[in-house]
Amino acid sequence: MSARYLARQSAQAIFTICMIVLLNFILFRMMPGSPDRVNPRNPNVTIEQRQAALARWGLNKPLIPDQLEAYVGATLQGDLGYSMKFQGQAVTQVIGDRFGPTILLIGLAELIAIFVGLGLGAYTGWRRGGLADRIGNGLSLILYSMPYFVIGMPMIIIFAAGLGWFPTSGMLTAGATYSGPVDFLRDLVAHLALPLATISLGLIGGYSILMRSSITETRAEDYITTARAKGLPDGKILRSHAIPNALLPAVTLVAINLGYVVGGAITAEIVFNWPGLGTLTVDALNSRDYPVLQGIFLLLGVSVVLANFVADIVYGYLDPRVRQ
Amino acid sequence: MSAVPVAPVNVRGVRWRLRLRNAREFARRYARRTDGVVGAVILVVFAVLALAPQLFVGPLQTVTTATGTSLDPPSAAHLFGTDEVGRDMLNLTVHGARISMTIGLLATLITIFFGAVIGIVSGYVGGRTDQVLMRLTDFFLVLPTFVLAIVLAPIILDIVGTDAELFGIRATLLVIIVVIGLTSWASMARIIRSQTLSVKERMFVDRARVIGGSRAHIMRRHILPNVVNLIVANAVLTFAGAIFTETTLSFIGLGDPFQPSWGQLLNAAQEAGAPGLGAWWYIVPPAVCVVVVILAFTLVGNALDDVLNPKSATR
Repeated sequence: MSARYLARQSAQAIFTICMIVLLNFILFRMMPGSPDRVNPRNPNVTIEQRQAALARWGLNKPLIPDQLEAYVGATLQGDLGYSMKFQGQAVTQVIGDRFGPTILLIGLAELIAIFVGLGLGAYTGWRRGGLADRIGNGLSLILYSMPYFVIGMPMIIIFAAGLGWFPTSGMLTAGATYSGPVDFLRDLVAHLALPLATISLGLIGGYSILMRSSITETRAEDYITTARAKGLPDGKILRSHAIPNALLPAVTLVAINLGYVVGGAITAEIVFNWPGLGTLTVDALNSRDYPVLQGIFLLLGVSVVLANFVADIVYGYLDPRVRQ
Repeated sequence: MSAVPVAPVNVRGVRWRLRLRNAREFARRYARRTDGVVGAVILVVFAVLALAPQLFVGPLQTVTTATGTSLDPPSAAHLFGTDEVGRDMLNLTVHGARISMTIGLLATLITIFFGAVIGIVSGYVGGRTDQVLMRLTDFFLVLPTFVLAIVLAPIILDIVGTDAELFGIRATLLVIIVVIGLTSWASMARIIRSQTLSVKERMFVDRARVIGGSRAHIMRRHILPNVVNLIVANAVLTFAGAIFTETTLSFIGLGDPFQPSWGQLLNAAQEAGAPGLGAWWYIVPPAVCVVVVILAFTLVGNALDDVLNPKSATR
């Protein structure tokens, strides 16, 4: 890996993160309302009091550079301000509390979807035009057309409200006491099953379509013809020659899609009332809790950029052709 | 030596005959794609519903003009059942087609406009302009646009207010349209730019430059007609994406209850607790419409891409 490739990728990632922070700053300032407008019709609030409020929040200083400096400085120190809805709680704490459940849900769903989706795509692409391909690809296209909540709502109707196999919402039974870790785990898994299935299904469609087209392209390569000419069995060619090469673009695209996944998973969390970042986003949205919204945007933006950066580096390491 | 009489060439006639032949050739190749044809038929049906919903189910029912009682299951009077305030689900779903499709169409037009202009200018002008525009495009490609849309929508709404209206479309929906447009042009710009780069090297562009055609003229009259195929194929896929995003944004509560799209109906169903109550008729009609329309757009888009895109024609 050349130092130049590494330097260029890092520069791009840092540039994008700076842009995200800047965008966050600008969006904040575009919002209507400001401390000095508190009760502007109240005759008892004097001009001096308003100016004191402005001075206290540093709003009487020029937007650039003073206010920008203060904002960037605070952000770098991990100070994202305070939530408006959960009074007195720091944004970092509000977001931190909801981080675990989302990571648990999306992490597991990604794992399942990557195995099943890429496997399905590899198989259908290899048998392109056959019956399995038509059914598999048709299914993938339908899943790909379904927003997560469109998968999730019927799940609740059938498996929770109808058959009563799973609870309808939450992560743990409210107010339950557990006799041991096994008991706790059983409750968690019961609550996790439906949202996990929903997000996995939603992801499988896209991943399968991706892998299918990647395998189809690989299938036309000369080294596959060579492997065939050597008399290798079909399954061996697929496993040892086609899949490793087709996996490269697929894995990169999985990383690039991370942002969309997290964004879309928000809706699955709402359907199942899962206590993660998704429900937090919508709560913040409904109560116009801007500091929390901005914090979520910053967190997701930066993680997506980092995921892309890692994907680029790994891709460059594995495939010398992209390093140019 | 008598001059051979030359029939005057009717340029306009030749051009039209060429266009007609191209169109026929296109139709012949498209008709071979069964999935594309099925998708197109579905889209025509929904387009008719969207154009004149009142012809099929009467005017949009409101809380005061509701014809049923709360959460009736499907019956002869209400084929699709009713919602929590007694409105007929068939009525709401058909009217939802108009709102969902309108938002999708307008958002797609914005996306095409920005994508095409930025792609063509970036590719043709090149140099520093290209660098700046592509940095911007990269930024929007990497950005989690859906999350940006969630942050942008309430801010814009707070600035313009919810009661503003333009061409009979309420502010809430306009915000959704603009937000989708602003956050989805980047990949279109990328594709158009790379095609522009290859068209730019062709002989007729040099010829146009030599006889003194301005940059704007060349981009409009020589580059644009040669990338329009790509724009069309991508526009259809963008449409699918726009409806997907609209449905999701409406579902999380950014839609307009007074002009309910399918996503807004699903949001209302969720708020009314329909999934937990087992009121499947409140969810199935809008959900099926969303999936069928997005699927149809995807099928048509893929078929068009195969027929129109010279690169994928070999597959």
